[in-house]
Amino acid sequence: MKNLRRISQILFLALFIFLFIQTEYKGKNELGLPVRLFLDFDPLIALSSFLAAHAVRVIFLLSVITVALTAFLGRFFCGWVCPLGTLHTFIGYFRMRRLNRKRPEANYPRLRPVKYFVLVFVIVAAVFGWNTAGFLDPISLTIRSLTIGFNPVVNKMIRGALDFLYSLDIPLVSPAADSLYSAMTGTVLAFEQPVFREMILIGILFAVILGLNLLAPRFWCRYLCPLGALLGIVGTRQPLARVDVDGEKCISCRRCNMACQGDASPFPAGKWASRECLVCFNCRDVCPVGAVSIHPTTRRTGDGNVDLQRRWLLASGIGALVAVPAISIGAHRERTHPLLIRPPGAIPEREFVRRCVKCGECMKVCLTNGLQPTLTEAGLEGLWTPILVPRLGYCEYNCNLCSQVCPTGAIREITLEEKKEIRIGLALFDKNRCIPYALGRNCIVCEEHCPVPDKAITFVEEQAIDETGGPFILKKPVVDPELCIGCGICEAKCPVVDIPAIRVSSINESRSEENRLFLGL
Amino acid sequence: MLNRRTFIRILAGGAAASMLPLDNLRAFPFPGEDPCTFSVVKGSDSAAAVRKAVELIGGMNSFVSKGDIVFVKPNISWDRPPVQAATTNPAVVETVITMVLEAGAKRVIVADNTCNDARRSYTNSGIKTAAENAGADVPFMEKRKFAKTDLGGEILKMWDVYREVLEADKIINIPIAKHHGLSQVTLSMKNLMGLVGGNRSMMHQKLPESVVDLAAFFRPTLTILDAVRILTANGPQGGTLKDVRRLDTIAASTDLVRIDAFGITLFGDAFPSSDPADFRHIGLAAERGLGSADFAGAGFRKVTLES
Repeated sequence: MKNLRRISQILFLALFIFLFIQTEYKGKNELGLPVRLFLDFDPLIALSSFLAAHAVRVIFLLSVITVALTAFLGRFFCGWVCPLGTLHTFIGYFRMRRLNRKRPEANYPRLRPVKYFVLVFVIVAAVFGWNTAGFLDPISLTIRSLTIGFNPVVNKMIRGALDFLYSLDIPLVSPAADSLYSAMTGTVLAFEQPVFREMILIGILFAVILGLNLLAPRFWCRYLCPLGALLGIVGTRQPLARVDVDGEKCISCRRCNMACQGDASPFPAGKWASRECLVCFNCRDVCPVGAVSIHPTTRRTGDGNVDLQRRWLLASGIGALVAVPAISIGAHRERTHPLLIRPPGAIPEREFVRRCVKCGECMKVCLTNGLQPTLTEAGLEGLWTPILVPRLGYCEYNCNLCSQVCPTGAIREITLEEKKEIRIGLALFDKNRCIPYALGRNCIVCEEHCPVPDKAITFVEEQAIDETGGPFILKKPVVDPELCIGCGICEAKCPVVDIPAIRVSSINESRSEENRLFLGL
Repeated sequence: MLNRRTFIRILAGGAAASMLPLDNLRAFPFPGEDPCTFSVVKGSDSAAAVRKAVELIGGMNSFVSKGDIVFVKPNISWDRPPVQAATTNPAVVETVITMVLEAGAKRVIVADNTCNDARRSYTNSGIKTAAENAGADVPFMEKRKFAKTDLGGEILKMWDVYREVLEADKIINIPIAKHHGLSQVTLSMKNLMGLVGGNRSMMHQKLPESVVDLAAFFRPTLTILDAVRILTANGPQGGTLKDVRRLDTIAASTDLVRIDAFGITLFGDAFPSSDPADFRHIGLAAERGLGSADFAGAGFRKVTLES
């Protein structure tokens, strides 16, 4: 059974990574693959979006399947499916090899309740409008960490090595490196080197979470994961797969406890904690005398579930009650941050922040790498939500991929036709830096790139004299605020590369009632 | 020791040198015939028009030798479908590649340094599929494949040039005729901007001088102008069919200055003047001896195909 479970874990991890890699433009306007499948099956995502934003989406029904199965099977999702859990399992193995001799039973039963307190915080905060699920939900956390913290580094390493071989110009080796590079680009590697502003921070956080396995195998799943806590509660009874230890046969070797993935203490008999059990079958497979069995029964085979002390639950809830108003105080609520340029299809800001689970799918799929995680622009409540940073990448006119991958509808699904009408901000010139205004030379690169068919950037012509004294027509660009959609290609392509002479800010965005500039727009 | 740089220079030099005697040969009149050096073919079957246009100026065999590596440069700059006339017509690209391979070329490479996302532009222009069908390699221009090169121009000095262009034996330039906000038109010379990298938008400050420098450096073996559809306003990107005019016209010549001089006449009254002298880059290029601004001069032939 243990091997079957391992196969399942590997297959689901492979599927997860496959979908992750496929979260990229593949030559069609529609992605075609359900790249956010794991998020769709994640009940914590559905629950938090429902509670925080009263979002009801048909796709949330998929997570009901997870819940239903969990009610019968317990935390099989953690043990058999969850990609983060599988990563922990792998790393946990290494730990077991090296450290187990020193501390064979690295269990911390007193930490078990922590994840329930985390869950209570998430739920209470969500009820009052702060969606924190995304920070700690394992699926969201993994996609975000891989996108922002991991993928860029892997890309850089492989690209760097192949580029180096290519640049050496050695016969056979360099052409081979070149072919390998071409074969990997767009398949395993990203089309272009991904660049994310908070790569180091998010990468280190992920490394720390994985590193916790050194304290105890699957430390995250056992003691911290709010989805694990939710599924634990749902699956408390798990009548189809209960661990049953025969006290008569047991020789008290404790091997089951050492092998347990979830700190569910099969030993001593009758002390099994169903909510902690990941249904990994290690205890059954490791028992030298066959005292452990896992089978369908309604009988209470263990009463080891932790007592969730009411004062701590209350403390978590109160913590959330304090935190929600606290994080809602801030400059970001007083005035929209000028750089808070949300992707097209983003719903109004308050609602957006409540729905967004910071999974990073939109940033992964963004063609130009322009969607970046916020740091301070949207306050703590909006940390790691997506904004467009035109200088890193503009919003491609004929693309709506980000709206196709959003799991919660924070970016609603929009057609391409709709997308072309949505203003995400407004470009304005800095005439002190703009070449025709400041230096009296022609340029209009912005006009050339403006994708709006009737051109949101036009120019006024003026007779001028060039440096040799000859007359010429100087074209001074101007923006039409009714046509400008704020895509930022002008800012991205402006030849004044350090501080572009035309910059997009969030003003005039269609979705906002307040962040407006003109009457009648 | 032959290092990479010298090798590339020799290759590029060789490619340029190999063009010269050919040009001289064709300028030499054959008995009883004024050899065609500039062809314009009108016909609704664009593949046939391309074939006829090239045939008139001597056939692909006089430009491409057996075993050549040929770099074909269409305009793939924008993420627009062919009907919007922002990118070279895929049928034209496909025909040119087929002809180049028929002439015995070893390999045809098609690429452009795009303005919109390269994947989208390659796909939606229809050029990737068309070129691959015809048997060309259609790589994306990756940053690592640009080599700092001395363009030796009057204002363009050291620029990133796509290595496969430098290593190719021949360059065939297939621009589309479009309006351009700054230079009024974008034709064959400006199309060469897609072969270089770096901060290309700086070139806009001295656009005529820049494109002439590019033309002088790359000296395409052959230029085939796609005027099947032309973009008459809001160029070079367009985006609306109201700015597109269908002309079903192909022009071919080894002289890209002549191509540009002819190209501006296609726009009718879209410009205040269609006198080549009013287009600075054409005048400059002619002054520098890159070609002739008199497109209708010796060897001009215009043919209309029956459909």
